[in-house]
Amino acid sequence: MDLYLAAFGFGLVSLSVIAIGAVGFTMQFGITNMINLAYGEVMISSAYVAYYVNRAGISIWIAMIAGAVFGAAFSFLLNRIVYAPFLAKGTSHIGMVIVSLAVSLMMANLLLPIVGYYSVSYQNSTGDLIRVGSIILTTNQIAIIAVAVALMLLIHGLLRYTRLGKAMRATSANPTLARNCGIPTQRVVDMVWVITGALCGLAGVVAAMDSDTFAIANGATFLITILAAAVLGGAGQPYGAMIGAVLIGLITELSAAAWSPQYKEVVAFGILVLVMVLRPQGLLAKRGALAAAG
Amino acid sequence: MKTFQSRNRFGRAALSALAIMTVTACGGGSSSTGGGLGSGDLLVGVIAPFTGADAGLGPAYYAACLAAAPAINNNGGVGGRNIGCQQFDTRGEPADAVPAANAMIASHSNLMAVVGCTSDEAATVAPIIDRSHIPMFCMTGQSEFNKTALKYFHRLVPADVYDAFAMVGSALYGPNHAPYKKAALVFGDDIGSQAFVQPATNALTKLGGTIAINQPIHLGASSYRTEVAAMLKTNPDVILTEALGSAGTYLKEVKTQNGGKMIPFIGSSATIDPVWFQQVRDAIGINDLLKYYAGVDLGYTFSGPAYTEFLANLNAAASQFSEAPKYKQRGSTLHLYDGIIMTALAMVATNSADPKVYNSKIIDIANGTTGATTVNTYKDGVAALHAGKSIRFVGAGGENNFDQYNNSQSGYILVAYDKDGNEVTAGTLTPDQTAKLIAAGG
Repeated sequence: MDLYLAAFGFGLVSLSVIAIGAVGFTMQFGITNMINLAYGEVMISSAYVAYYVNRAGISIWIAMIAGAVFGAAFSFLLNRIVYAPFLAKGTSHIGMVIVSLAVSLMMANLLLPIVGYYSVSYQNSTGDLIRVGSIILTTNQIAIIAVAVALMLLIHGLLRYTRLGKAMRATSANPTLARNCGIPTQRVVDMVWVITGALCGLAGVVAAMDSDTFAIANGATFLITILAAAVLGGAGQPYGAMIGAVLIGLITELSAAAWSPQYKEVVAFGILVLVMVLRPQGLLAKRGALAAAG
Repeated sequence: MKTFQSRNRFGRAALSALAIMTVTACGGGSSSTGGGLGSGDLLVGVIAPFTGADAGLGPAYYAACLAAAPAINNNGGVGGRNIGCQQFDTRGEPADAVPAANAMIASHSNLMAVVGCTSDEAATVAPIIDRSHIPMFCMTGQSEFNKTALKYFHRLVPADVYDAFAMVGSALYGPNHAPYKKAALVFGDDIGSQAFVQPATNALTKLGGTIAINQPIHLGASSYRTEVAAMLKTNPDVILTEALGSAGTYLKEVKTQNGGKMIPFIGSSATIDPVWFQQVRDAIGINDLLKYYAGVDLGYTFSGPAYTEFLANLNAAASQFSEAPKYKQRGSTLHLYDGIIMTALAMVATNSADPKVYNSKIIDIANGTTGATTVNTYKDGVAALHAGKSIRFVGAGGENNFDQYNNSQSGYILVAYDKDGNEVTAGTLTPDQTAKLIAAGG
């Protein structure tokens, strides 16, 4: 039982990391209609930006902001320079998936000679160990959970209570109608790429902190988990992605405690497949934050 | 609000994407019997993981080739033909390795040898390369190659079972510590790493030890918190491990959850590697790495004329691959360097660029025949062959002793690192201890 409680605590950290990335990913799709498979490579690139800032002697908590800024700027440019022209030509959904996969592969291979294949670590103390019963977490891990909770609340506030959030929801529901109603949809889409890019950058840095060591190959690993959480929760649904992150994060850790750890991802993805069979639209497809503004 | 259709489209596309990513997310005498050495450049294919979880392996082999090329080219080439090196990335996955091997063979008619082929991909690519009659030097310890029928396959390192026995030997008989009787086996879930588990279990348990936990860990996972908690609950004396790419993450978690204190860990010979050293040093700190790590390796001297020339060429290779000099004590780099030079010497000895002719001569040059002259460099080998002598090449990695299955065997030593990442000898296993380990391991 002790091990399961410990695994539950570890699951809180995992789900926090996944949630930050999954919410950004699913918002990108929900509003721009784009499945961006380069998301994982933007995450790892942002992690490296933070690494170089951190190596210059700056705290990782400040370097994290540099990672977020890089993620925002890169994602904005990626859409403007690569994705938007393809979309303007009427490229199909699956065509855009392949374009983003190509971008992902190009980024990974361009990054390799720059950052090398060596694993790197942030210069950062893991913090003090806090024990609450059988749950053991470091202060850094608690800080990561706090960052995730704060970001989720901010996203909730953005979508529900701001003009930009309402414009995002309107653009998501019907971009043509939104444009005809005077909403500057192009500017809204740009802002979506900036905001979700920042989330992507932050997710990359916290995932790298969580791993202790990271390398270029981690980009693909991050993306698979995030994609799973987004699909599980319901396409384009930020709250669904949060629930998906909770399920994936907890299931992977608890299944590692229950069975051989080599099967933890098998169990998590098995549940994903089961949900997709029983409820192809995902867990929260009907009641999402991106529902039309009321 | 998106329609159901678009959501289902997302689901289908996302699952398709997951599927795509999963597929893309293992001396003889100078007989001069050949038909001539031909013209044009020759190529050595380096087929190995250059991306993916085992991306640290390929560069060690590429460095070997880059060092061997000038050793040959600056001394007349192979009958005037220069050799070059090219990477073929397997991503450490059999599914990616097969097209890589096929592309390598189909696109390059001037392949003289192939090096690399780790345990991740050897089982799939070795038969393909063998069918094309290209001599290969594979860095795999898989037991299926112990008695292989592949004539063009060569292995310059012992099978993994011996590596596993040496790790158990380090635990039970290593210097400066009481015998570690209770071991946690923490090996990656890849084919190569799992090959250690059964022989290590057999050897340790039959020599009075116990396995606290056998924990196959998924390489490349973002964290191992629950795994480490489960492992620490069993209170092992020592961790026996090979989890390339994930060692830093795992060991840092051990230190964190164990209140900042490491427990001893013994690595396979693959942990004598600059990539591994840097990762673990950065994760747990140099002091803990020096204090708690022990490894095993083949008994290299890192000295002598062959090693001196190897080192000079490896340092020169930095102009093409800046990381090359870091592999100065990587066993596989030394061995593959030797393998390429032996192949070139075999071509000169047979005066043939036809692998069907020169392949068998490689063994003669490695093992030597009666009355053979020992040579340590390509230049001396060519001179001796031109003088009509038979030769035995003893290279940077030391003597080779191929058996009838093209496996070369040699003994292990117990090692550690110094603060700069250089290997230092910590001890040896006596013949009696070695015999006990092999008998127990089965």
